[in-house]
Amino acid sequence: MKPQTKFIYLFLVPALLLLTLFVVGPMLFTFAMSLMKWEGTKVVGFAGLDNYLEVFGRREIFYPKGFERGRPPFGALVHNAIWILIHVPLSTVLGLLLAVMLRDVKGAAVIKSMIFLGMVTPMVIGGVLLRFVYDKNAGIFNEFLRIVGLGYLARTWTAYPDTALYALILGSVWIWTGFSMIVYSAGLETIPQELIEAARVDGASELAIFRYIIVPLLKPATIVVVTMSVLWVLKIFDIVYVATLGGPGGASTVLALEMYMDAFFKIPPNYGTAAAIASILTILTLGLAVYAARYMVGEIACIGTGFRAARGF
Amino acid sequence: MKLEHIVVGLLIVVIVLQAVVISQLQSTVATLSAKLDEVSSKLEENTAALKEVSTTLSEIAGKVAAPPPPPPTPKKEVELVVFSLWGGKEEENFLKALKAFEEKYGIKVKHVAQTTEGLMVGLPAQFAAGKSVADVIIVPWPAWIRDLAKQGHLLEVTDLIDPTKYPKSYVDMVTVDGKIYAAPFKAWAKPGFWYRKSFFEKHGLTPPKTWDEFLALLDKCKGIPGVEAPIASGDGVGWPLSDVTEAFIINRGSPELQLKLISGEITFDDPQVRKVFEELVDLLKKGYFSEPDEWTAQIDKLWEGKYCIYFMGNWMTTMPQVKDVNDLGFFPFPEAKGVVAGGDWVIIPKYTEHPDEAKLLLKFLAGPEAQEIMVRQGGFLATNRDVPAEAYKPADKAVVDFLNTPGLVVVPDLDDAVGGEFQRTFWDQLKLLWVSPDALPDVLDALKEAHLKTLGKA
Repeated sequence: MKPQTKFIYLFLVPALLLLTLFVVGPMLFTFAMSLMKWEGTKVVGFAGLDNYLEVFGRREIFYPKGFERGRPPFGALVHNAIWILIHVPLSTVLGLLLAVMLRDVKGAAVIKSMIFLGMVTPMVIGGVLLRFVYDKNAGIFNEFLRIVGLGYLARTWTAYPDTALYALILGSVWIWTGFSMIVYSAGLETIPQELIEAARVDGASELAIFRYIIVPLLKPATIVVVTMSVLWVLKIFDIVYVATLGGPGGASTVLALEMYMDAFFKIPPNYGTAAAIASILTILTLGLAVYAARYMVGEIACIGTGFRAARGF
Repeated sequence: MKLEHIVVGLLIVVIVLQAVVISQLQSTVATLSAKLDEVSSKLEENTAALKEVSTTLSEIAGKVAAPPPPPPTPKKEVELVVFSLWGGKEEENFLKALKAFEEKYGIKVKHVAQTTEGLMVGLPAQFAAGKSVADVIIVPWPAWIRDLAKQGHLLEVTDLIDPTKYPKSYVDMVTVDGKIYAAPFKAWAKPGFWYRKSFFEKHGLTPPKTWDEFLALLDKCKGIPGVEAPIASGDGVGWPLSDVTEAFIINRGSPELQLKLISGEITFDDPQVRKVFEELVDLLKKGYFSEPDEWTAQIDKLWEGKYCIYFMGNWMTTMPQVKDVNDLGFFPFPEAKGVVAGGDWVIIPKYTEHPDEAKLLLKFLAGPEAQEIMVRQGGFLATNRDVPAEAYKPADKAVVDFLNTPGLVVVPDLDDAVGGEFQRTFWDQLKLLWVSPDALPDVLDALKEAHLKTLGKA
């Protein structure tokens, strides 16, 4: 082994040690908890996969009857998937459009700050705000409906099973778009201006420049936005807890909320099933994160090589 | 070998090392613990011997001269920490009782308002570690108190209170193997509907006594301009909806129906239960109940005349949204057969560092003096029989009079008593029922499933 390699390992040790103690250790401990049988706060035996079977057998986690009726609840597992399917594309596209539109606008920093405020706001406050936004009497959303002549649709959107989940997802998009906009704004700054100017000289339209130059070169930013959004949505908890508590009738519940309920809300608590849900969440997020990280590293390396080649480095 | 393989290998080595270190630590701790036990047992032997010597010396001294032992004087510098679930106006009222205690005994008391989760999750963890931040705790869960007592976490208070001064059930609920582990403090009830007297007078409405009069009242209310719905529906966690539903189970069904549901003798597919829910759904479909909204905000709307009546517990009289408590009227559930009632009990953790002072506070709170202070402020029903009836405010007095109705059966709260997963499901499914009354079959299925599962009968 080269002396340089030895140093690399030496420098890796502190970080690995901390990661092991505070990330890997608790993860393994949680997994071990999920395999135990609990009575209140005490372990009373080995449960094997019983906790997992119980979790997947619950209507709060998976409720196929919802599909027959065509409206929530479908169960937390499906709700999380719906969050990803709606939230991620919407917040990504909105963030990109806002970043591009505000690129050359005077005073854009102020507008961007205002959009980013949602991201800075604690999620619990975000949840409270959403409750108000969708309130039948006090909500700005219903007021908007009244102004445009759709007042007959006014209702407390988070109180109904067919709208609660989607209302929360849209509210969450509003909160999260600030993040994707900022990442895309930073990404736009890295695109060499000469590429865009060269395209203009060659007669390319603004739409073609956006489609064939900006979007491909923003791929690293897109990977960051999509990955972070998916991870954020998988772990979504605060907004749901505050705005609907997963209701009505489990119509807006999510995995993280079910985990919290099992561990801290129910009397007595059920740490076994809570740990099982936590482990399922960990596997989902970890798998995605590892895949995205590997992909990202590869893409950035390719783009970097491309740039260096293009610029003759 | 690739770098990532080496890193993964290193990670595994670190985990193994961690496991080895932990096992070493555990064995060291076990050794130390054994040694400590040894020292502790020796100390106990020595203490016992010293006690014997001390007793003998006392006897000798007693024969020589017997001056009466001075009463134990509490240390002035002690500050007791009290936990309860009361915030806002309730806490404000409670602090007055604590102040009276401070003035009487010269012991400082610090009240820390807690959340349900804070107590439920935090206290068992502290007790398991042999510690307690609080010296005195006030909780409304008798089953929980009994569990803590069985686990040896509470001080026995049998000698501190006179059980004959309280309703028997309030003492029985916190008695384990003939020993009392908590002192009854507050009683509460969920007796019926509240309304604004001036609103009723203005619109010529009268409190109903029969079910038909009740339906007529709802019908009349619905026709009043500005009224969104006759009955306000409280939301939030979900208990306001379960409270009014239980009132239907008890009074449109029977108190026995509620008790059978609590014991699990029947569940939510029982024809009688279904009938009660169908009656409730009928009212929901007729638009007699409002859309659920935050329960305290609903009191504001009741006061503004957007609703006629609101089903709520006796704490309604302490709510800051009630602008004038003298304008607040109450009528029991029509043709009432029973009522949900419960209480708050005072407990002392075994691990308190100030047991003598804590016992003084428990005795004080269980006594008529503290409870009268609370009663005079409103929204508080005393458990101690020595509290004079004239101390109650009119609205509270109406509730007390109703609770004294001959033949009225007092039953526990259904979701509190069953607890566990059922409680959350009950609250959540009722939210669904309120906005989708057609979902009744699904709601009853979900309730049955959670009910049986929680009671271990699935």
